Amino acid sequence: MRLRASIAAAAVIGGAIAAYLTYVHYSHTVPICVNGGCETVQKSKYAELDGVPVALLGLIAYVALIATTFVRGIVPVFASVLLAFVGVAFSGYLLWAQLGPIGAICQWCIGNDVVITVVAILCVVRMLTEPTPAE
Amino acid sequence: MLSSVDRNRIYLLGAAGLGAVIVAVVLIIVGTGGGSSGTTTNSGALVLPTASLAGIPQHGDILGKPSAPVTVQVFEDPQCPYCREWNVDTLPSVLATYIKTGRIKLQYRGIEIISANSVDGLRAIYAGAQQNKLWQMVDALYARQGEENSGWITPDLIKTAATAAGADPAKIASAEKSAAVDTMLKNSSDAAKAAAVGGTPTFVVQRPPGLPTQLQLAGLDPTSFAAALDPILK
Repeated sequence: MRLRASIAAAAVIGGAIAAYLTYVHYSHTVPICVNGGCETVQKSKYAELDGVPVALLGLIAYVALIATTFVRGIVPVFASVLLAFVGVAFSGYLLWAQLGPIGAICQWCIGNDVVITVVAILCVVRMLTEPTPAE
Repeated sequence: MLSSVDRNRIYLLGAAGLGAVIVAVVLIIVGTGGGSSGTTTNSGALVLPTASLAGIPQHGDILGKPSAPVTVQVFEDPQCPYCREWNVDTLPSVLATYIKTGRIKLQYRGIEIISANSVDGLRAIYAGAQQNKLWQMVDALYARQGEENSGWITPDLIKTAATAAGADPAKIASAEKSAAVDTMLKNSSDAAKAAAVGGTPTFVVQRPPGLPTQLQLAGLDPTSFAAALDPILK
């Protein structure tokens, strides 16, 4: 129970970051930023996938992750691990883009990288410790 | 010794890892249109508003009739993809609805938002002002816009863009470092600070004796632009 609550809490933090960046995207406003690189990253081509803001995709993923914490069993646990792993892989790609082609770092993206990594670790722990129906 | 349940879960973890990598790679390939290289620029086949500029008075950085009662300052960076989006999607309707009818005039305010390479483009654009081809230069650069920070604004690209804009490339090259261009760059930078411009594109409307007002847009499409501007023009 504590593990599922931790996953949900971390996913809420990640979802809040994603929701804020989604709002910034659609409102064409400037994100709050301490290092000045957020706007450059937000306005780069890497901020969208086929016209869909990556922040919105992240928000949807975090909502789905939270939903998996309300259900017991190996299927939702597997789904949460898969979602978290996709999140980590995609965050790695975006981190590469920031350090390479974009040449600017967005603090919100780094915050999300940390959150999704924590969520992925917690989901793996849950997968290894989730009781089977017979237990 | 691992139980069969533990072993199955480790297999599932491996499958999830593999599946995640496949999903992420597919997303990246689909999302980036097949993975173009960092220095690829947009083709010149884009429908840009250059043709719509024909017949519209242009003097320096001003586009439109000098007698137009309202000035809209357009803050842009030649590397900014959203600025290009506005120029492609919305500027043609702005030209038809507001500029040709003498309701407003546009003032180009080029500022560096993305990187120092933007300044190379801005110098070429402001050099174009000396031939009253500034707005054509803006369009010609957007037609060739590359990935941010890829260094796509090169002397060769500027030369090609100047030719496409109908400007004299040699005069553009010689004017880029002129004092007049320095002054226009400084004026734009000062105007951006005065209007608290935090990003591009930003539009600042002024109807003397009123104070400049930043246009609050819900989107960069023609409908959103008209919805924000029309109440000010009433």
